[in-house]
Amino acid sequence: MARTRHPKKEVEEAIQHAEANGWRIQIGGSHAWGKMYCPYNDAECRCGEFCITSIWSTPKNPGNHARQLRRVVDNCTTRKRAAEAAKSEPEPESE
Amino acid sequence: MEYEFTLKFILLKVSPDADELVERLGEAGCSDALIGIGQPGRIALDFTREAESAQQAVFSALDVARHAIPEAKLIEVTPDFVGLSDVAELVGVTRQNMRKLMLTHKATFPAAVHEGSVALWHLYPVLKWLQERADYRIEPSLLEVAYIAMQINLAKEASQIERRVQREVTALVA
Repeated sequence: MARTRHPKKEVEEAIQHAEANGWRIQIGGSHAWGKMYCPYNDAECRCGEFCITSIWSTPKNPGNHARQLRRVVDNCTTRKRAAEAAKSEPEPESE
Repeated sequence: MEYEFTLKFILLKVSPDADELVERLGEAGCSDALIGIGQPGRIALDFTREAESAQQAVFSALDVARHAIPEAKLIEVTPDFVGLSDVAELVGVTRQNMRKLMLTHKATFPAAVHEGSVALWHLYPVLKWLQERADYRIEPSLLEVAYIAMQINLAKEASQIERRVQREVTALVA
């Protein structure tokens, strides 16, 4: 995908993790490098504030920033519920 | 030590747009916080802050926020108010496990702050109980942060108390 990469490797990897989970990335800002938007926009979501999360250009600690971004993606309640539902489905035949 | 906590704010009606607030927080050195702007009229700062103590970490964060975004009013500091599933997640056990622990130790398990369609506890006394009574290993930084978060939330609420009521209640409830 043609977007600018984040200068910090760990943060870029966390952004890619978000993208792999359907989050939309919007670049822009000065201290902020950009924002990530949760793909689910439903009434049952109770993640609230972090459905839109700001990404820093030069976080104080890139490792921590990356870990926090991943946690937001992984803690999304809608995503978790979908994962739970998938788990309780019978395993599809793998090759 | 590194301390993890979140400050949740409500924004005054006339606030600049969220991007502007984020830039100001960046300018003020809050890039050790993840900024959440997904709710209109709200802003949340999820810190991983290096400091000598949890109190220093949280107080310095509150101070920076107060100057950088004066249009934000603190709602709560987390982790403090929790349900059983939150506690379970924080200490790394299942919710069922946590529930069983509570039910088998009804006499000593900390009483909930509120019990209704949901039950809520302050996190600190529950962690303390788990550590002392149930031999759980609790991260010292988590225990410390839960304590200061509770103190701040209580202090913030206490500003609403009428002095006269406070005096009488102290006598009645102590």
